[in-house]
Amino acid sequence: MTHDDDRSLTDALLAARAAGRLCALATVVGTKGSTPRKTGARMLVDPNRGLVGTVGGGCGEAEVIEAAMDVMGTGVPRRVLVDLTDDLVSWSPAVCGGIMDVFVEAVHAEGATR
Amino acid sequence: MRLHAADAAELVVEAAESGNTAVVGTVVGGPLAAVIGRRIALIGEEGDAATMGSLGDGALDDWAREVMRGMIADPRAGDGLRVYETPEGGVELYAEIRRPVLELVVVGAGHVAQPLAHIGSLLGFRVTVLDDRPGFATMERFPDADRVVSVDFEDPFVDVPLHARSHILLVTRGHKYDYACLVRALRADPAPAYIGMIGSRRRVRATYVQLLEDGIERAQLDRIYAPVGLDVGAETPEEIAVAVAAELVLVRRGGTGASLKGLERVAERFFPNEDEV
Repeated sequence: MTHDDDRSLTDALLAARAAGRLCALATVVGTKGSTPRKTGARMLVDPNRGLVGTVGGGCGEAEVIEAAMDVMGTGVPRRVLVDLTDDLVSWSPAVCGGIMDVFVEAVHAEGATR
Repeated sequence: MRLHAADAAELVVEAAESGNTAVVGTVVGGPLAAVIGRRIALIGEEGDAATMGSLGDGALDDWAREVMRGMIADPRAGDGLRVYETPEGGVELYAEIRRPVLELVVVGAGHVAQPLAHIGSLLGFRVTVLDDRPGFATMERFPDADRVVSVDFEDPFVDVPLHARSHILLVTRGHKYDYACLVRALRADPAPAYIGMIGSRRRVRATYVQLLEDGIERAQLDRIYAPVGLDVGAETPEEIAVAVAAELVLVRRGGTGASLKGLERVAERFFPNEDEV
């Protein structure tokens, strides 16, 4: 992520906390092969604002958003392996031929992550 | 003490903006469910980095601090997973490092400077533009620049401190201005990461002759990127800016500067042309 990406994600995290909103933070902690975003990419799922940042869009991102909703409900962090290796000849923008390892955690206003 | 995701993110951004290195470690997997999601951060340089937060386990904290100190010391260390072995299995720490923000100092506010400031900003540089003509050194002409400063080219960096993260591009309207600024840039201590100067082979050669006459050592010439940029056949100011920006990426990340098509030869290697066999 560039410094500006870091800055806008930080501002979004601070705003959500100040407003007391429960959000979910997704971080790409590893990749294998060719993936739309690399290690370090982040996305904040804020129920009031939508998405800040991206982990690559397409079906892969949809999987991560689903996990984010789940994690906000349970409070228990999850790891999502987004597999973009199937179907190499499809026209889907999510087809890159790699795997992304994504950590998804709930971010509570009071500071605890669970 | 728990380090909140928002506080960790803010620490990192503020460190980078104030010229510090920051590393944040987050437990993202492993057998110790209670510590998953906890964070620890180190802010500062190798010897005297300050710790913020805790992973909630003394031995794990000590290991994480050692790993993160190692990352600060290794200029090529990148974000990724590190594993702490326990009898129950490996605890996975995701460690991310942010170095101080890189600076791009564009000396000269003319036609090439405008697209350069724009692309430099897209690449994540903090961009400063300098010129001795107040009418050219305006924020209106450089909306992406962080700073636009009117200077005297005899001492252009007086209000623009140079450091090891500075990338200097000399694109003034005249050879003599580039020259004065080049001498200043070469003498800067610590040495800037990149010093580039626009100009034809002839003009660069003339500059080098003058540098040697003025007592600059021959070895110093090798530090200068001139003529500036990669050879992509650039003609317009925008194309020149792309060629220069590509060189900035090359200096930062390493690489060959060659076309990946030629390096990988996918068609040739995997789909040999039957007619030529």
